[in-house]
Amino acid sequence: MMRLAVAGALVAALAGCQGIPADPDGTLDEVTGGTLQVGVTHNPPWTDVMDAANPSGSEVRLVEQWAADLDAEVSWTVGSESVLIDAMDRGELDLVIGGFRDDTPWMDRAALTAPYTESTGDDGAVEKHVMLAPLGENRFLVALETFLGRP
Amino acid sequence: MASRFRHPELPDEQAAILARAVRYEWLTIGYLALTIAAVGIVMGSSQALKTAWIEDLLSLAPPFAFLIATRIAAMPATARFPYGYFRATGVAHLVAGVALLTMGAVLVGESAISLVTNDRPPVGTVQLFGAPVWSGWLMIGVMALTIPVPVIFGRIKMKLARQLHNKVLYADADMNKADWMTAAGSIVGVTGIGLGFWWADSAAAAFIAASILWDGVKNTRGAITDLMDTRATTFDDDRPHPDAELVARYLQNLPWVDDVYVRVRDEGQFLHVEAFVVPRSNRSLTLERLEEARAACRALDWKLLDVVLTPVAEVPPLVASRSERRPS
Repeated sequence: MMRLAVAGALVAALAGCQGIPADPDGTLDEVTGGTLQVGVTHNPPWTDVMDAANPSGSEVRLVEQWAADLDAEVSWTVGSESVLIDAMDRGELDLVIGGFRDDTPWMDRAALTAPYTESTGDDGAVEKHVMLAPLGENRFLVALETFLGRP
Repeated sequence: MASRFRHPELPDEQAAILARAVRYEWLTIGYLALTIAAVGIVMGSSQALKTAWIEDLLSLAPPFAFLIATRIAAMPATARFPYGYFRATGVAHLVAGVALLTMGAVLVGESAISLVTNDRPPVGTVQLFGAPVWSGWLMIGVMALTIPVPVIFGRIKMKLARQLHNKVLYADADMNKADWMTAAGSIVGVTGIGLGFWWADSAAAAFIAASILWDGVKNTRGAITDLMDTRATTFDDDRPHPDAELVARYLQNLPWVDDVYVRVRDEGQFLHVEAFVVPRSNRSLTLERLEEARAACRALDWKLLDVVLTPVAEVPPLVASRSERRPS
């Protein structure tokens, strides 16, 4: 029972701690007040890269708003999904967007945010939309999800 | 209900203990069903939680094995099964042991792979009452809730297993210990993720898996050796069962007995004793004395249900060579 009391006290102590969860690679700290490296792949109306220097679309706008909240510049990289996921694996990108759904086959190679909106697909099924963050950068993920979950 | 599990030869006191054990096993199954559901909902992509969840699933095996085996073992001997159904307990012990062993091996492999390949578990948020909460807190909370019950159940079952000499019950008590250690381990793992040590989760999972594997090895070895008629041991396989010594000493001290060799095997709930006695002379060996000695042996302990006395001219050489009681 002593062990339980110690464990309970430990959890309570940690609950008051602002540093949890942390990023193993410190992504959120690097981005805040710096540059948010975002990979974007063409998928209107979520993302549109016809003008590669100035992407547009609903997800692009969301990312720009979040970057403004973090006092960060956005640097866009346009490419195919596999190229962007590889780049995020190497730590060159902090976020990949492109109207991804929560059943994306990239779920083993990227951290999916909680679905932030829903749409109806061509077959009438409900599609839940997510963004892709680096695996294990949980502080970054929580910050992004908190932003996306805001009404 | 308990009467269906009661072996007709079990004394009242032990029958009451068995009834308690049956009650606790049903409680365990109900409780496990609850935790399996709860952990399944919150586990997400934590390797340690997944390991804990599979361990919970697996810990259903010993209670079910116990309930089924005690019921079968209570059936009376028939022409087809002249020794009775006692061995059902041993078979259940083997089933539980192999299940543990296999799962332990698989889980050790999995967590080792995720350590080597640098798997970083993403743990995001869930909406709780309209506010985003880091899922890690939820995981830690659920795992902490699953600790106290196995601790209590494990202690109670360990006591019952000792009184009842039931190795399946003992394996289950062991499993309960593994259960709460697993929960504690996954709390460490998730806390590690929270602090930014991505490897803590897989390392905790590997540690838990190793302890499951060890439980599997221990129980499988115990079950196999019992089925191979190893000398009977105590309920925890810790030392030779004292009843063998008790019977041998009793027979050796009978005035008409010159030499004795006793072998005892474990049939699950009860022990099976074969005693070879060498009478001092032809005349000293009577049916009454044999019957009296056999009844006295059975009276030494309720576990000594099946005692066979065989009068012999001398202790057979093969048996004698393995004997621990050589004539002095």
